[in-house]
Amino acid sequence: MADALLKIDGISAGYHGQDVLRGLSLTVAEGNLVAIVGPNGHGKSTLLRAISGLLKLTGGSIQLGERRLDRLRPDEIVAAGVVQVPQGDLLFPEMTVLENLQMGAYLPAASARMAERLEEVYTLLPKLRERQHQVASTLSGGERRMVGIGRGLMADARLLLLDEPSLGLAPIIIDQIYEVITTLKHSGRTILLVEESAARVADKADHIHLLDHGEFVWSGAGSELMARPEILATYLGS
Amino acid sequence: MTPLRRDVLVTVLLVALAATVPFLTSTRYIVTQTTLFFIWAIVVTQWNLVLGVAGIFSLAQMALFAAGAYTTAMLGYYWGVPIALAMLAAAIVVVIVSVIIGLACLRLRGPYVALLTLAIAQMLYLLIVNDTDCFTTPPSGCMPLFGGVRGISRFGDLGFRALLGAKWYVAHYYLGLALLALAILVSIVIIRGPLGLAFQALRDNPGYAMSRGISRFKYQLWVFAVSAFFTGLAGGFYAAQFAVVGPTVFSLSQLLLLLSMMVVGGLGRIWGPVLGALLLMLADEGVRELGDWRDIGLGLTLMFFVVLLRRGLAGAAEDLWRRLRRGRALVVPGR
Amino acid sequence: MDVVIQIIASGLTLGAMYAVSTVGLSLVYGSLNMLNMAHGALLALGGYICFYTMTALGLPAVVGVLAAVVVCGLVGLLIYVCTAAPLLGSPQFETGVFIATIGFGAVVENVILRMFGPQPQPQSLQVPGDIVIGNVHIPNQNLLILAVALGLMVAMALLLKRSRLGRAIRATAQNREAAQLMGVRVGQIYAIVLALSGGLAAISGIMVSSLYSLLPNMGGDPMLKAFIICIVAGLGNVTGAVISAIALGLLEATAQYNLGVQYSFALLLFLVIVVLIWRPYGLFGRKQVVRL
Repeated sequence: MADALLKIDGISAGYHGQDVLRGLSLTVAEGNLVAIVGPNGHGKSTLLRAISGLLKLTGGSIQLGERRLDRLRPDEIVAAGVVQVPQGDLLFPEMTVLENLQMGAYLPAASARMAERLEEVYTLLPKLRERQHQVASTLSGGERRMVGIGRGLMADARLLLLDEPSLGLAPIIIDQIYEVITTLKHSGRTILLVEESAARVADKADHIHLLDHGEFVWSGAGSELMARPEILATYLGS
Repeated sequence: MTPLRRDVLVTVLLVALAATVPFLTSTRYIVTQTTLFFIWAIVVTQWNLVLGVAGIFSLAQMALFAAGAYTTAMLGYYWGVPIALAMLAAAIVVVIVSVIIGLACLRLRGPYVALLTLAIAQMLYLLIVNDTDCFTTPPSGCMPLFGGVRGISRFGDLGFRALLGAKWYVAHYYLGLALLALAILVSIVIIRGPLGLAFQALRDNPGYAMSRGISRFKYQLWVFAVSAFFTGLAGGFYAAQFAVVGPTVFSLSQLLLLLSMMVVGGLGRIWGPVLGALLLMLADEGVRELGDWRDIGLGLTLMFFVVLLRRGLAGAAEDLWRRLRRGRALVVPGR
Repeated sequence: MDVVIQIIASGLTLGAMYAVSTVGLSLVYGSLNMLNMAHGALLALGGYICFYTMTALGLPAVVGVLAAVVVCGLVGLLIYVCTAAPLLGSPQFETGVFIATIGFGAVVENVILRMFGPQPQPQSLQVPGDIVIGNVHIPNQNLLILAVALGLMVAMALLLKRSRLGRAIRATAQNREAAQLMGVRVGQIYAIVLALSGGLAAISGIMVSSLYSLLPNMGGDPMLKAFIICIVAGLGNVTGAVISAIALGLLEATAQYNLGVQYSFALLLFLVIVVLIWRPYGLFGRKQVVRL
């Protein structure tokens, strides 16, 4: 049984005084791919933002290994090894692909091994090497997503958070993205990802959690979920 | 009692109170300083409409005030227009100028408006101060078109000196009080009325407000126009009161003072500006001997209030009042 | 022809001076969304510190300049701590910081006034002599200013484009949240940007006062000009700001020659007003982003 890398214990968080997440608990074991699915607006992104420190908790705790994350600054959380590829990529629009990747390795530990890390990312995502001097705002949606993921990989994270990697992309591109994600999983990475639809992740995830109105309403293995079409219909409108 | 009625009542009470002052004191200085307070209070209540309520980052108010003062003085000096008439004409001129500025600012966002209005104010100041050509040459010396550095004087007055002799300043006092009362009433009506609500909506949720047909541009122009009228009038009255108008009305010191009044009192609140004006004029009297320290004190006050007491004293008072009332009611569910 | 050379020489010098302080302002606005109204006061402070170090303390010019840069850099930091940091994240950030820095600037200017008095003083840092091109005398002072400004621009460009810190500054300006997710400590970046801006203002202040004279409120007009340049270029556009600064310098020199000093600024302002009405985001600007 793999060790729990990320432990989320009864957290609540929200905006403008209103909690979006209520008493949520979750563990992510080392080397696993855990998916959170559910309709939009119910707190999936909120959860990832809370983990990355962009949102303050109103209750509960988040731990990475032995360390408490929820009291740290966002930059400290990144230094602890939690890297997020945010929803919509949030690339630096006026910087080139290369510069975006370089920003991914901003922290001293990664920065020292910049050349090495760039090679690894280029090998995994060859398109990026082609386009390395292109300005980010001129890239296509799929290319941007790749830069976002590549940027996230530059820091050599212990835990990778992916916020809706398939958002806004054509099915063919989504396939490519998920190929990359699968490769990452097989190389032993710990990944927590968030998606609106369960279909894509069900057969790849070790665990899936269904988030509805800020609470987990179902948790189990991916294969279990696929075998229960009624759950899919109720919460995800099939 | 509706908030509107309550505010009007408060205004009437305060005016009645202020009206007794000339009878309570025989010191001319107190009366004339209070008249100055009236003038500044008018300017800040109107500026508050633009900056605090409509959220338009305009620094043009001092320039508009100066325009009112200069127009009045020049109408009196060059064409011998009776000052009362000149004041009204000046107010109208200032409204026109303000609407033009408003049109220019329509498409601009926050800081750009501030810089544009600052640039306009500075440009006017430079035009006045740098003009050394003599437009006319009265016995007192060279007189540039806008009065240059020495300013314009001897342009006539409201006629109270002829009527009341040495007690002319009392008449001015009541005139100033009347103007202030009107200015406050106008600002109450605007803040409590549809215009105020529209701006609240635009601030809270611009997309929704605009989709409901609230045209920001139209309301912005209205605010620019209305606030300009009394500002210009106040400028004209300032000219009549002090009998000289010079470029000092453009100074940074004045801007600082007025800004402080609004920030200390509370931006966007109805009574904030008046409260701030009162407090700062009192404080100003207190530190009169300290010279340079005055501006240092103002600067520090500005910083202190903006950072720590963002809603000003009026806002803080409102918050306290609200909390006291709520404390007696329900118990807040614990977390 | 001589007139043209004269105008170009003056114009470039003016433009160079403006460019130095404008870059700082542009960076601060681009990364922080903050209009630093205390910038003018920093200019004056820089000039006076250099003057004081050289005359009262009798130290060489290099020390004077260094002292001015260090002090103004620290004051820039102080501005961050007192005005920007407490208001970060508040919805009224832009307005609040604007007003708060007006207050801060007033305090600094009046402290200078108290310590040095209201009379104009000549700046001690003067380079004597001139070079002659045709019939035109170009003071060495101007050449020094040009050289220093050029050096500073190159240094800033290298910093922003090639260094890790420069990347972090640009990243923070382009997308603050994403920068945080990369491990950038944005608070620190803001502080550094303001300190940098302070140092640049100090040098600009020394330059301006060496051509004109030292007055406590000497920073007001240059600051307004710097803002104008930023607006014309589009707030946050650093290269555009440098180009616009030089253009403004040339324009001002031409106007001064034709109309006399009094009206040139007024004319400039009028032009700016026209530009702003015509192109609300500035001539080159798009959104508030720091670009090179």
